[in-house]
Amino acid sequence: MDVAAMRANFAKAAAAGDEAPLYFYSHLFLSHPETRALFPVSMAHQRDRLFSALGDVVARVDDVDALVPILQQLGRDHRKFGTVAAHYPAVGASLLATLEHFDDAWTPELAKDWTEAYTLVAEVMIAAADAAAEQPAWWEADVVAHERRTLDVAVLWVRPRARFDHLAGQSVSLETDLRPRLWRYYSPANAPRPDGLIELHVKARDGGPVSSALVRRVGVGDVLRLGPPVGHLALDSDSDRDLLLVAGGMGLAPLKALIDQVARHGPARRVDLFAGFVTENQIYDRVQLERLTAEYPWLTVTYAVSDDKTSSLEQGDVGDVVIRHGPWLSREVFVAGPGVMVDDTVSRLLQQGIPRTRIRSEVFAPSRMGPSLDGEVTE
Amino acid sequence: MTSGQNGTGQEPRGLTPADLQNVRFTRASMMRPGYVDAEVDRVMSRVAEELGRLYSEKAALRDEVRALRAQVEHLAEGVAAVPEPPSEQAVRILASAQLTADNYVAEAEEFSRQVTSEARAEYEELTRQARDTAGGIIQAAQEAAAKLADGVPIRSDGGGRSVEELEEQVAYLKAFGQACRVQLRAYLEALLSDVETEWGRADPAAVQAERLLPPAQRSASELGAGGTTFVGNTAAETAFEDGVQVVHSAARSEPGS
Repeated sequence: MDVAAMRANFAKAAAAGDEAPLYFYSHLFLSHPETRALFPVSMAHQRDRLFSALGDVVARVDDVDALVPILQQLGRDHRKFGTVAAHYPAVGASLLATLEHFDDAWTPELAKDWTEAYTLVAEVMIAAADAAAEQPAWWEADVVAHERRTLDVAVLWVRPRARFDHLAGQSVSLETDLRPRLWRYYSPANAPRPDGLIELHVKARDGGPVSSALVRRVGVGDVLRLGPPVGHLALDSDSDRDLLLVAGGMGLAPLKALIDQVARHGPARRVDLFAGFVTENQIYDRVQLERLTAEYPWLTVTYAVSDDKTSSLEQGDVGDVVIRHGPWLSREVFVAGPGVMVDDTVSRLLQQGIPRTRIRSEVFAPSRMGPSLDGEVTE
Repeated sequence: MTSGQNGTGQEPRGLTPADLQNVRFTRASMMRPGYVDAEVDRVMSRVAEELGRLYSEKAALRDEVRALRAQVEHLAEGVAAVPEPPSEQAVRILASAQLTADNYVAEAEEFSRQVTSEARAEYEELTRQARDTAGGIIQAAQEAAAKLADGVPIRSDGGGRSVEELEEQVAYLKAFGQACRVQLRAYLEALLSDVETEWGRADPAAVQAERLLPPAQRSASELGAGGTTFVGNTAAETAFEDGVQVVHSAARSEPGS
């Protein structure tokens, strides 16, 4: 396999920008019309992702150790999109046609090398998908409660119809029939419960198709589809250090799940939660959090508002408020929220001397992208 | 010659092994042992004819198998070899249709974004105004109430000053409380880690045993019973405070005793 020639050939297609994936998808849908239903109406974001994912694969093509786990994850992730083994040759053929179309110096050797490489990639992905076949490709979940908490935040309770295992702090991708084929990641705000219920916090982003539908249109009785959970934040099972949790806005959800985890399974530890919002009336989960502090003597919740002069709560960025209440040198720290808030808080905590290894963080982008390199989460 | 029940079939049917086994030739004569030549010849020519037919049938079938196999392989190879790949023109047409659709969706999303963000801005502005107005009314009411409560004002600005003083005091107390809280927490954090390391050094088993206490007991002993929050729990803090002077020299003695 002439890797250098393949890279040069791929670079030509990549240089064509949006044209190349546009050609690829048009070719695929014309030769296999049944694959069109696997994609959302608007393909704009899908196109960006395809070639960046392919680029990642091409970049690692001679580093099998790094490539194989990525491909396996991709194969597993694609199950929830309804991808089956029969789709892989179709994609391969259109990929080859695209690479040929954008390269004037196309040779039979290139065709042979790409076919070989793609066959390998497809085999790894299909094998991983097959290996995961004992768990469902997705889970249907009934919405059993839907509360509008503020103008644009809703809290949903959903009950998966089949057993759905997740860990506190993980994220789950979900899809609603109102916005077919658009998957978004949300973090359940609870640890697994005996009754299987999952609490979801959703903020409607202006113009965000999925989030606004989840807040304003989905109701009790509707069905959501959940993808397999993916790990982000998680409690270290063999540490019993006290916890410091710092949330900005909707970053509250995974941290509330960690509190739930401590409450259900221990080990006993003090937990201090700092929740930052812009104004006091945005604190969408206050009643529930106050109920928790009344119930659990080990839990303290402090709110911070960054732009609400009339509020009697702590004023300032949440990272600043956390430092004012410090020091936190012995704590295990979890930070979740918008990128700026996470960066600010983490750098302040590092300055305080908390070792990097004891700080874990997750950035909540307005539209939660997937963690996988292929960008299965469309936006 | 007899050949079982079949003899000479009307329709051309194949020569079966049973047919051959059932063939009986008549003895020629006492003088010349053996079968009648003519009968043997007839049977042999039938066998030859039948074998010829079978060979040609086999060849035809082999050709058919080859053709079918090639067809299957062709299909399995997939889609690369789909009879007609989409034409360049078709690809271009679909691509531009897709782009048009993408633009419509993007415009719809952008429109929805504008509408909602404008609505939100207006909502926030209205709430802010309402809050300011309400704040002003409440303040005016409080001032009026203060004046009434003072009765005939001995000092014209007396009420205002006392409110100011009170506010100052509240702010001072808040800051003082905050400072105390920070101090206590820092002290306790240090104490806890100190106690843990010192105990561990002197008697590792003790740390082990302490860890193994049931969660409920641990949190009770750390936090004291009854307190709802750690910072609010003065009982436990006072208990630790008694041991301040001896914490380093006698860390192994029971803290708080």
